[in-house]
Amino acid sequence: MSKTNVAVIFGSRSTEHDVSIITAVASIIKPLELSGEYNVIPVYIAKDGKWYSDDSLKDINLYSNGKFQDYLSKLKPISISFNSGLNIIKPGLKNKVVNIDVVFPATHGTHGEDGELMAICEMAGVAYVGCNVSASSIAMDKVSAKQIAASSGINIAKFIHFSKYEFSKDSAKFLKDIKNNLKLPLFVKPSHLGSSIGISRVTNFDELQNAIEVALHYDDKVLVEEGVNNLIEVTLPIIGNEELTPALLEQPMLHSEDFFDFETKYLQGGKKGKNKGSSGSQGYSIIPAKLPKDLYAKAESTGLAVYRAIGCTGIARVDMLIDTKANKVYFNEVNPLPGGLYSHNWNKAGINNIELVTRLIDLAVELHTTKKSIETVFSTNYLSQFK
Amino acid sequence: MIKSFFSIYRPSYFSTIIYMLQSSEYDIRKYLSWYWTTQDFSKVRIRGNLKKTSAAKMLLISVVFIALLEVLIGIYCVYLWKNNQLFAGWTFGLALILGYPIIIANLIIIPLFMARILLVSPSNNRKIIKSEKIFKDFKGEKIAIVGSYGKTSMKELLVSVLGDYKNIAFTPGNKNVAISHANFAFNLKGDEDILLIEYGEGAPKDVELFARITHPTRAIITGLAPAHLDKYKTLKAAGEDIFSVSNFLSENKVYVNQESGDTSSFLKPKFNLYNRSGIGSWKVSEIKNNLEGISFKMSNGKTTLKLASKLVGRHHIGALVLVASLALELGLSEDQVINGISNTKPYEHRMQPYQLNGATIIDDTYNGNIEGIKAGTELLSELDAKKKFYVTPGLVDQGKETKSVHEKMGELIAKSDADTVVLMKNSVTHFIETGLKKGVYDKKVIIEKNPLKFYKNLDQFVASGDVVLMQNDWPDQYK
Repeated sequence: MSKTNVAVIFGSRSTEHDVSIITAVASIIKPLELSGEYNVIPVYIAKDGKWYSDDSLKDINLYSNGKFQDYLSKLKPISISFNSGLNIIKPGLKNKVVNIDVVFPATHGTHGEDGELMAICEMAGVAYVGCNVSASSIAMDKVSAKQIAASSGINIAKFIHFSKYEFSKDSAKFLKDIKNNLKLPLFVKPSHLGSSIGISRVTNFDELQNAIEVALHYDDKVLVEEGVNNLIEVTLPIIGNEELTPALLEQPMLHSEDFFDFETKYLQGGKKGKNKGSSGSQGYSIIPAKLPKDLYAKAESTGLAVYRAIGCTGIARVDMLIDTKANKVYFNEVNPLPGGLYSHNWNKAGINNIELVTRLIDLAVELHTTKKSIETVFSTNYLSQFK
Repeated sequence: MIKSFFSIYRPSYFSTIIYMLQSSEYDIRKYLSWYWTTQDFSKVRIRGNLKKTSAAKMLLISVVFIALLEVLIGIYCVYLWKNNQLFAGWTFGLALILGYPIIIANLIIIPLFMARILLVSPSNNRKIIKSEKIFKDFKGEKIAIVGSYGKTSMKELLVSVLGDYKNIAFTPGNKNVAISHANFAFNLKGDEDILLIEYGEGAPKDVELFARITHPTRAIITGLAPAHLDKYKTLKAAGEDIFSVSNFLSENKVYVNQESGDTSSFLKPKFNLYNRSGIGSWKVSEIKNNLEGISFKMSNGKTTLKLASKLVGRHHIGALVLVASLALELGLSEDQVINGISNTKPYEHRMQPYQLNGATIIDDTYNGNIEGIKAGTELLSELDAKKKFYVTPGLVDQGKETKSVHEKMGELIAKSDADTVVLMKNSVTHFIETGLKKGVYDKKVIIEKNPLKFYKNLDQFVASGDVVLMQNDWPDQYK
């Protein structure tokens, strides 16, 4: 019996391009190959948007040995076709066509995680891992995600949002609105970016404008949000389509005055703040989060409610903010492709890396089978009127 | 197939054959048997690599030089033939040019063989004969440790318990043959209280020779199981050799592991038998066993010792009981025995637990016999875990018993309560699979073709709360 062809697509034109490489190579391709059940095809989207596929792209050393660009310049870009599903066409004396059974998206941020890649898969009619187009797109827009969560009765922190255009037209109005309606400290965030890129913590209003400009440098939509008091930040990875399996609530930092920017999270091993964390993939989290039983249960059910409200499938990670004195859980954001799929957390929850990725593929196939049974075309006499 | 054949022409071929010699401990028979059953020489060095000792370097330079010489002679033969100076010279020349890898691999054994016959053996024999007097004149206890398995563990156990209170000398590592005993004797200071001498039997009459040279005052027989059957041929022959040590001392100075079922036909009335229930009038009770270690009570009349060890697995209790009773016999106080036993801990690669990704890995990769497999599978069945994995390539040197031993092994694994069994693909895998079927094992079986890849990526297979038992590992020379 031939093995299932799984295309792991990573890289892309995103600020999180490099994080995506780690997720794809270390957390997806490696366990998929070790399972022995799949034919794994790496598909790398370069920063210039060209697509490549070659077995060497499975080797993490390729990206760190300083010769990656040389290697890439010798490789011919591939093309894709949608005939009978998704096909990868590798150029050569005779083009090699590989039919893809399942796509495993591993792109973080823009041009991938935001639903664009899922849209390609939908058009091709191929099974793919993770959230669908709408859920991905909502999840990647913090403003939309918060609005949807709020409409489902889930607590969110008070916020004001605006576009680059709106702010440039009347920045004074927005600054005034913020000062009048929101309490310090504030968090200024680009609406569409993950991995804490472009986020600033504002503790006095003099810093506000600069923080907004930083966020607008990365995105055309920004939200300014009130900080939660007595804060414990937690995150909950979840897998499933209809029946959901939560991992363990993870407490990524120990002090409310700290927050994790990109550098701390990915480059310094999370070693910021007064206390160094003891566990987690970057060594900055506590798993399971140290919370009273009832608060833990409340946060877990909030995470599951958010996952359902946004329409996530496959996998997602829901970040929440907890006011420990008020015993109140706020939805913060949802990440439709957790970095490294948060395997460190799943490991603690008793799910090994191989089991995690194979389960995700099973969920993708299950969802695709269900979708295929739904009719999307039917015959009509509509065109006959134009005779 | 073609790629495999041409692997003999790769530059790495030379170091590969030296590696094969080195891994076979320069045993010509083992080396030749490995060489002639190897199809692809590019896939020989999986677990290890050539250790660049001076002997290895010298051999490497020699083989490269001789190979070059062969090719040059071959070319010269063809040249002579072309000038009508050598009849059939092209055949001979071509054979030399193309066949140099095979010729050199076999030619290399000649100097080794000659060196062994003419230099090493006579020198070793002289040393061994000389050491006999040292052992004979030694006035303290000389404890021989004999058996198909568990010898090194027993020796290390005795060292842990007695070492703080007695002046002990012991044969190092697995240096357990006559020449190692001789070297050990020459290094003795003469003021030792106790000598621990491990007997590494490998062929008929080995143990008899070791006993004749070392003059033991006590002997511990750790067990009998199929091992080295390539030389002994039958288990009975191995048992006869192992138990021959008892001919050199009084029966009541011999201690035999009663849990090793195969020893029963060799027992004599006054032998001291030990097992997990006790030894002599010492009785064991209140056993507790988990991944932290084992604890139990050992009572004799009104005397009770509460013993706790970090060793993992019930099968250690018999050995601990023996060591405790022997230590008391040799003059240690009860407190000293309790303290000594508490110092015992897992030895490297022998039921040694460690943590990986929140899972517990029990490294028992130095376990190479069916009794050890039985102990391991029993332990696995006893442990609580989210998921249990059992990993093994099987056992080596089982001779004619290979099929039956591995089928039995499969049956034992079937009872281990493992959720996943990982078998490293080799010549015995199908026997273990048959055993699993006989044991009605109906969970997941993975046949892994690349053991190193599996071991290196074990973290990908496990998660928090899992337990993995890895028993035995195969050196490169076994297929």
